[in-house]
Amino acid sequence: MSGGAGARLRLVSVSKRFVRAEHGAAAVADVSLTVEPGELLTLLGPSGCGKTTTLRMVAGFERPDTGQVLIDDQDVTGLMVYRRSIGFVFQNYALFPHLTVFENVAYGLRVQRLREAVVRERVGRVLALVGLPGYERRFPNQLSGGEQQRVAVARAVVVEPRLLLFDEPLSNLDAKLRVQMREELSRLQRQLGITTVYVTHDQEEAMAISDRIAVMQAGRVAQVGTARDLYRAPRSVFVAQFIGRVNLLPARVVRAGPGATTVTLWRREVTVPVDGAGAIGADVSLVLRPESVGLLAAGAAAPAGEIAVDGMVRSRTFLGEKVEYTVEVDGTSLLTVAYDPLRHGLFESGARVQVICAPASLRLLSEA
Amino acid sequence: MSPAAAPAGSSRAALRDPVLAPVVLLLWAAVALFVLYPVSRLLVLTFWDGGPTLAAVRELVTSWQHRRALGNSLLLAALVASTGTVLGFAFALLAVRAGLPRAVVGILDAVVLLPLISPPFTAAIALIFALGPRGLISYHVFGIASLNIYGLGGTLLSETITYFPVAYLTLKAVIANIDPNLEDGAFSLGARRGRVFRTVTVPLAAPGLANSFLLLSAASLADFATPLILGGTKFPVLPTQAFLQITGLYDMRGGAALSFLLLVPALAVFVVQRWWTERRSVVTVTGKSGAATSVKSLSPGAVALLALVCLATLLLVLTFYALIVVASMVRALGADNHLSMAHYAHVFGGGLKAIRDTLVIAAICMPVGGLFAVVLGFVVARTRFPGRRALEFAAMINYALPGTIVGIAYLVAFNDPPLALTGTAFILVVCYVFRYSLAGTRATTALLAQIDPSIEEASASLGARRDVTFRRVVLPLIRPALLAGMTVLFIRAMTAISATIFLVSLSWSLVTVRILEGITNLELGQASAFSVLVILLVYAAVALASVAMRWLPGGQLGRAGSLLGG
Amino acid sequence: MSTILLLLACLLLAAPAWGADALNVYTAWPESLSQPIFKAYSAQTGVPINFIRLSTGELVARATAEKNNPRADVIWGAPGDGFAAAKAAGIIEPYRPPTAEKVPAELKDPEGYYTAVSRNTLLFMSNAKLLKEKGLKPPTSWNDLLDPAYKGQIQTADARTSGTALTRILSIYYAFGRDEEKAMEYQKKLHQNVQVYTKSGGGCTIPTAMGQAMVCIAHMPDAMEAKKKGYDMLTTFPREGVAAVIEGVALVKGAKNRDAAVRFIDWTFTKNMQDLLDKNEVYMLPTLPGGSINPAVQALMKEAKLLPVDLDWVGKNRKRLVDRWVNEVIKE
Repeated sequence: MSGGAGARLRLVSVSKRFVRAEHGAAAVADVSLTVEPGELLTLLGPSGCGKTTTLRMVAGFERPDTGQVLIDDQDVTGLMVYRRSIGFVFQNYALFPHLTVFENVAYGLRVQRLREAVVRERVGRVLALVGLPGYERRFPNQLSGGEQQRVAVARAVVVEPRLLLFDEPLSNLDAKLRVQMREELSRLQRQLGITTVYVTHDQEEAMAISDRIAVMQAGRVAQVGTARDLYRAPRSVFVAQFIGRVNLLPARVVRAGPGATTVTLWRREVTVPVDGAGAIGADVSLVLRPESVGLLAAGAAAPAGEIAVDGMVRSRTFLGEKVEYTVEVDGTSLLTVAYDPLRHGLFESGARVQVICAPASLRLLSEA
Repeated sequence: MSPAAAPAGSSRAALRDPVLAPVVLLLWAAVALFVLYPVSRLLVLTFWDGGPTLAAVRELVTSWQHRRALGNSLLLAALVASTGTVLGFAFALLAVRAGLPRAVVGILDAVVLLPLISPPFTAAIALIFALGPRGLISYHVFGIASLNIYGLGGTLLSETITYFPVAYLTLKAVIANIDPNLEDGAFSLGARRGRVFRTVTVPLAAPGLANSFLLLSAASLADFATPLILGGTKFPVLPTQAFLQITGLYDMRGGAALSFLLLVPALAVFVVQRWWTERRSVVTVTGKSGAATSVKSLSPGAVALLALVCLATLLLVLTFYALIVVASMVRALGADNHLSMAHYAHVFGGGLKAIRDTLVIAAICMPVGGLFAVVLGFVVARTRFPGRRALEFAAMINYALPGTIVGIAYLVAFNDPPLALTGTAFILVVCYVFRYSLAGTRATTALLAQIDPSIEEASASLGARRDVTFRRVVLPLIRPALLAGMTVLFIRAMTAISATIFLVSLSWSLVTVRILEGITNLELGQASAFSVLVILLVYAAVALASVAMRWLPGGQLGRAGSLLGG
Repeated sequence: MSTILLLLACLLLAAPAWGADALNVYTAWPESLSQPIFKAYSAQTGVPINFIRLSTGELVARATAEKNNPRADVIWGAPGDGFAAAKAAGIIEPYRPPTAEKVPAELKDPEGYYTAVSRNTLLFMSNAKLLKEKGLKPPTSWNDLLDPAYKGQIQTADARTSGTALTRILSIYYAFGRDEEKAMEYQKKLHQNVQVYTKSGGGCTIPTAMGQAMVCIAHMPDAMEAKKKGYDMLTTFPREGVAAVIEGVALVKGAKNRDAAVRFIDWTFTKNMQDLLDKNEVYMLPTLPGGSINPAVQALMKEAKLLPVDLDWVGKNRKRLVDRWVNEVIKE
């Protein structure tokens, strides 16, 4: 399989509304995205957010109401599916039950009317690539879930498409297999270099394999960025809550200035090193990741520059490599995570503690 | 979804179950008495005359009429099955894959249902009116003076119209169950519509096509009514010959022997069809298939062609029924076209006894047959009683056999004491129950497959006896199957003729027999009026049942009408 | 609980449900003709009549099947050949109604098994308009029907189901001077012109009336019915002759309501009943001398050359004649 350069995909203001009673709002509203050649972009979001619909519009299974789909600057919005040169992997694999593995994989090649010898060679190669050499004669109903998945991938990839599209391909597999398969998929994609759009609702999966992630909510793109960007700098409460776990703290703006905003938090003033966001008196939310929250014994000296506040441990969950605490601070509940706890010591439930965190680890969101 | 397995527990335990054993015994007794005994009497009549004899059969085979009838029956069955399947496939594709609005598909369904629920002669009579010599359509519209409607051509056309709805319903379900992702996948691999249709859609529909072929073959083999009117002497077929042998030539033995000649292919087709549907289905719908594809596998050109064919067929069907309705409301269609309600006056006057009798019989059949079907289905699907497969098969025999055979068998078996049942309502009810409960049994087993047996185990663990569990846990859950079975029984009770024509009597008359008499006596207006009444009643019943099904909680069974598709 | 009640109800229905003193009758006459007569009887005597209408063949077959446990008490209104077959099958018993003494002997079975209720015959019924279109005169001879102009334009009854067909076969047989071979030859030729054989005797009248065929060979009452309905029909007789048909009545052997049956048969031969043939427009001639006669019917019957039929011979040879028809005439 030649590692093709892959095409560039652009979605320009794509929208689609389904004319059915159950769907009041638009399924996809004004989505614009660019996927660079060879990149793996994931559409991530809860069910109903429009990610699958968007993917299907890229494939050509659905037609956008407005907007354009461009592959390598060619407007394919009105082009039929079978002309777009894509590879699509379905959630339920959609293997042809009446054909052998060989014929399944060869299907697209036969459409191209390639010579039998060429077909045989390419099918053999791609099956080896996905780790299923010798499976040619079996039927889909004789394969395990993981094996079916690989055949589906092989089938999509063997035709050397410009775009590779995955619709939640791993959600039917059990947890361990899922982890294993995503690593293989990621590796395969990098090796082949085909531009890929991947749809999932599993944020861990998205973070593991994607070059970039587009978080979708209610038909719109909430935020696009690398996993790191999304984790560190979510731009909305939704994204903050969707990626990883988070503590959302309500606060109020006291002073706003360049490079520093002061808010009231836990009945004291805290200055967060960000540009002034929001007017004085505005309600805002502070994003605080559990691992950024530290616990000290009550009365211990807090490190300089860090916020320290009294709290009480409500519950403790020991998970081996880490321990999670729920700590009550000033009437609100905080989730904290501490790693290697056996080395650093455990707090009992009900213990009085000092909760510390660095102001720089707080992220300010203008939503209340 | 994995099929729910029968609960663990040995057959021995089943034998000792204080409720199960008597119930199964009762079922066996009923089946033995009303299915096996009459057929064996028929066997005896044919093959025994003092000692074993093949004389009756030999006499048959030497007769050119009967040999011709056998050949004709097989030929007709094959042709009807082919044309009906193709037509049904066209309709099914149009309904499922052409992206028609739901309202239009609803109308399609309603019209296509008509032939299924009409009295048996409707198509034949209408055909004669419409396309016979000087027919209202062939002559008055197209000016063709002598189209010969009698014989193979007319019979084929009439039976195709009558039975293609069965193919339609079967294939509609099959096509709807094809995972649209499979076709999408083929599209995504670059295949165009034609190739996708050829290499994906048709192979996946193939089991359904074969099933439909077999169902239609069976229906045509057993069809007694249409060839009686349209076959003429040029095109004899077996069930009609058997009927004529008995009623025309007073030859019971000959009729019985003819029945056996018919029984062999009929049973063969039935067995093959059952075996076929029991194979693991190639098509399963799993995962996220809710996203219906907007790329239809039918090009606009194909849709137009299908629409043309279907529209022509629909128009033909509607014309037939329009003719019947008009004939019921004019004094004498063709001669005296003045509006007249005289025929309906007769139907509700002199014909009232037949209507009342038929409705009474139907009303009794429904709970009896419904319950029988459900209990049988439960015993077969959920218990491990020894011999339950044999019981299931035996219970199906009367359904598999053409009606004429069953009617003759009952006539032979139940005419003399101690079981002199001919002439009673009992025998009519029994005939219907054992012929038409299969739909209810199948619906029950289908529903039970969707219900986890651990529910019944939970009931048992809480101390409930088998019948209590059945009554309080299982029965409520399989109510849709019960309803479906009862609906089918009602429909059949209103429209059956081939078995029951031998069983009507002075005390109990049936509307379908009155229709036949009307046709025989050329009281066509009256026959039409009766037909219209039956169609309305049955339509109402099906509509009611469909509505009721939607209200009942429980598994998906689809419309009651679909159960008529075998 | 409700199930048990239901089952009990079913068992109750098993009891043949006829009234204690209702009479059970099998008839081959169309309901429109027989029902008014039965109603008249019930009105006069208060005895209800349960009846079924079956074609002659079906009637005899059913009664034969029920031989050991007859349901019917009387067979009333069926062509003579049916009674001949019934006599041969042993399902009727002799009964000579005292009221029928005046009925001429040739209209009764010599052994008293059955008596004629009315007289009937066969005729040619033609569609006037079609004949005019084709410039044909209505057929007046059996041989006229062999004319190629009638190809595919004749309808008549199927001998396996209809008594009328047997009348036709017999008519041809007697018209050809009892030469069976000549009769068979003729029928084979006639077959070439036949469009379809109808299940019932009168089955060809309406289609012919509607123009689907030119000629229908049927019993007189059926033809007259069609005419009454308003169709433009011509009736003619073949000059070689047609068989004289009797419609009879007989007592079923082992009848459960013998007394009521006998009384009913007796009533059949009263002026009361015989007059009904005319009054109800049954279009057949009464057998009791003095019964009122429909002038149109009488005129028709006068036109016909009626050939007498030996019913005993018919009873013995019926099956053979029909078999020959099946095996030689309609074979293609």
